[in-house]
Parts: sequence; structure tokens; C-alpha cells
Amino acid sequence: MNTKTPSAATEALISVRNMSKSFKDFEALRDITLDVNRSEVVCLIGPSGSGKSTLLRCLNFLEAYDTGEVRLEGELIGWQEGTAQPRRRVAAGTLRRQRQHIGMVFQQFNLWPHLTALENVAEALIQVKGLGKKAAQDAAMAALTKVHLSDKAQNHPANLSGGQQQRVAIARAIAMEPRVMLFDEPTSALDPELVGEVLTVMKEMAAEGMTMVVVTHEMGFAAHVADRVAFLDKGRLVTLAPPADIFGREPDDPRVRSFLQTYRERNVV
Amino acid sequence: MELDLFVRYGPDLLRGFGVTILCWIVGSVGGLLLGFAIACLYRWSIRPVRWIIDLYVELIRGTPFMIQLFILYYGGPYLGLVLTPVQAGILSFIVYGSPYFAEIFRSGFNAVPKGQIEAARCVGLSEARIMRRIILPQMLVPITAPLTNFIIILSKETAILSVVTVPELLYETQTMAAETFTYIEPFLVLSLFYWLMVIVTSWLGGRVEARVTRHLKRT
Repeated sequence: MNTKTPSAATEALISVRNMSKSFKDFEALRDITLDVNRSEVVCLIGPSGSGKSTLLRCLNFLEAYDTGEVRLEGELIGWQEGTAQPRRRVAAGTLRRQRQHIGMVFQQFNLWPHLTALENVAEALIQVKGLGKKAAQDAAMAALTKVHLSDKAQNHPANLSGGQQQRVAIARAIAMEPRVMLFDEPTSALDPELVGEVLTVMKEMAAEGMTMVVVTHEMGFAAHVADRVAFLDKGRLVTLAPPADIFGREPDDPRVRSFLQTYRERNVV
Repeated sequence: MELDLFVRYGPDLLRGFGVTILCWIVGSVGGLLLGFAIACLYRWSIRPVRWIIDLYVELIRGTPFMIQLFILYYGGPYLGLVLTPVQAGILSFIVYGSPYFAEIFRSGFNAVPKGQIEAARCVGLSEARIMRRIILPQMLVPITAPLTNFIIILSKETAILSVVTVPELLYETQTMAAETFTYIEPFLVLSLFYWLMVIVTSWLGGRVEARVTRHLKRT
């Protein structure tokens, strides 16, 4: 495994240590160790079923990892500190506080369809951050402006395109001012012509220094925006390297080679 | 048709109708609330509690309403629970309706896509907030029709309360029929009263449904 260790100067924002996760008999993740530094963009790629989404979902404890650690700024996520086995979950309130700092964007957008775009973004600002209605609406509007949707604030999701819905979902997450953003195949449910607008917003976020972990099949995005690309296969982290090492030359690992080969063949017009 | 009969028995019939409405509305609202509480308890509790709830649901759904009413009204005093007919009627209505309402709510919870709830957890909303702000408003869409339906069924089940001498509509109608030896007219009027309850309920249900599905319409 040619995992690159982060330089000592930069403190890891997210630190995953020897993390494993099984669903019944299926071993979804095995012994994952990964650091994500502040302002870094890490893309997770790999064949379907390789565990990329599960890894992402373990980072904010949507899936409870079995063994190992996930830390955000040093704080263990989801489990109580200490070595006692079996580990106990942190209190519900603690988990909510931890999750506030971890924004997440889903493949299926998961907007709340009975609320307008503005209300979708403002909801947690009011209920979780405790902002007043006016302040929350202003902050929500600012977030919508960031994703270039200020003119759609009063639309319900049913009256937005897929790309617009996904941008509202991004606004909903960034309005909470998270330390890190997780993206779970954010463009996979979109019509091809709508992918660009979402990727543009994500590039802008990256340029502004947002720390991002992105599960994606958009190799172009991984190649041009990621600082490092992690390749997963069968629940293992096979390679973690700068995109140039993975896309620029013929990769050393046969699994990476075959994955990219398939990918290139599929995308030849 | 002997109209003077209705002048004579009209007040009794109307009073009976009032008792029917009282038992029906209080019983339905009570059953609705108890059913919601049961559904929430089921959602958030550990397995043994769920077994108890399952048993309760099966027990109540598996026995006829009239038997439950008899047990409560005639059996209650043995347990120190002495109730007037109307109290027994309302209480048994609440108990009888609750598992059906609980099942409707449970299906309503499941109708909201899991991803939306995950998204809510990701921004830090509490479970209670998620229920109130995300699940409840949306589950009104799939549950309004079955709720309306069941409340309509309950409106007609009130007739059974007459067996424990609740002075409701059927009881008063039977009294009138027995005392005057007329049957067709009183029971026609009785049907009219039930029919009135049903169409009003169904109209209200339709209004609620239109209201809660507003956001789904593309403009």
C-alpha cells in the first residue's frame, strides 16, 4: 500500500485509523487508515460495491463503524472515548453536535419536498443553530446565492431541476458552516447536461478552501480538483495518491489499472 | 309518513344524534392520539416493548368491538372500573380505534424516504424535530385517505354502543320504533343522520388531502 502520510506540518482535520465495518457477513470496509487535511479535497473512487459510500457514511456515523477510529479535529465520532469493549455510542445530543460540523450531500439530493428551497436551507439554522427567523432566512439566502440559486428561493423542490435541487442540498449543508463537506456521488442521479452546474459549484467551494471528501465517478473532477485520490476495492484502500500519479501515468496496481481501463472504454464515444 | 311522530320524538332523536357525535368525535380523536403515541413508541423503543405493542395490536384487532365494549362495561366493575354507559362507550372507542390508527401512522412513517431523514440527521435536527417538521407534514399525504376511511367506519360503529344502553342515535330510534310501532320512517331518518356524518367527514377529508398535497403540484 503506497499510502502517503500527511506532512507533520499540516494537522489532519479528519483522521481515520484502522477502521472496519461489516454488514452481517459482508465485510464492507477493512482496516481503513486515511487522513484528510484542512482545505484538502480527497476523492474516493473505485468499482461499485468497493465501500466508498460506506466509508463516507462512517465519517459522520450514518453507519456505525465496528472497529478503529474516526476523528474530526481530534474528537472521536459516534463512539465514546475509552477502550472498554463493546464501545458505547455517544449521547444523541453529542452526535447531533458532531454532525453539525460535517456537511453531507447525497446522490438523491434528499431535499424535504414540502418546504421551499429557502426553507430547506433555513430549517436547521433555526432549529439547530438557534437563529431567529429573519437571520436564518438571510443566512439561507446567502447560501443559496453561493450556489447561484437566489432566484429560486421560493420554489419547492418539485419545481426545480435535478441540478438545481442538488445545489439547494449543497446550500443546506454549507449554511451550517461545516468544517468538512462529504459528497456521496453528487452527480450520479443527474442528467448529463446538469452535471456541470453542480461540479462548478463544488469547484468553487474547493477553491475557497473547503475541506471535501467526494465519492465520485466523475474522473475529470477527481483528476482536476482533487488534491489526493483514494482508490478502494473490495473494502480496502488500495491507493491514496495525488491524481497525477493515478491518472497521469499507467498505475502500478493492477486493480486500479483495470478500473481505469474499463472507465475509459465506457467513455469513448 | 306520520310527521307528528317526528315532532314528538324529534328532540330525543336529536339528543341521540348528539350523543353519537360526542362518542364518535371524542373516541376518534382519543384513538388517533393513542394510536400516534403507540406508533411513536414503536418507532423509538427496544424490541421487548415492540413485542408488547404487537400483542396489543393483535389482541384489539382480533376481537369484535362489541365484545371489547361488554368486557369494559360489565367486566370493568370487577376491577374497580365503574363507568357510565357513555364513558364506557367513549373509552372502548378509543381503545378499539388505537391499533388501527397506529398502523396507519406506522405506514405513514415508512412512506417518508429514509434519505430525507438521514439528511435531517446530518444537519443536526433532533428526532422530535424530524418527526414534527419532516415526517408529520409529509405523511399526511399518504395517511389522509385511510384516516378518513377509518373515521367513517367508526362513525357507524357507534351504533353498537346501544347494546350497553348508551342513549345514542340507534338507541333512541329503537325506543321510538318500539313505542310507536313504526319502523320504516325512524330507520330512514337514522340512515339520513349517519349518511350526513359520512358525507361531512369525506368532504373534510378531501379538503385536508387537497391542502397537504399542494406542494407536490408543479407550477
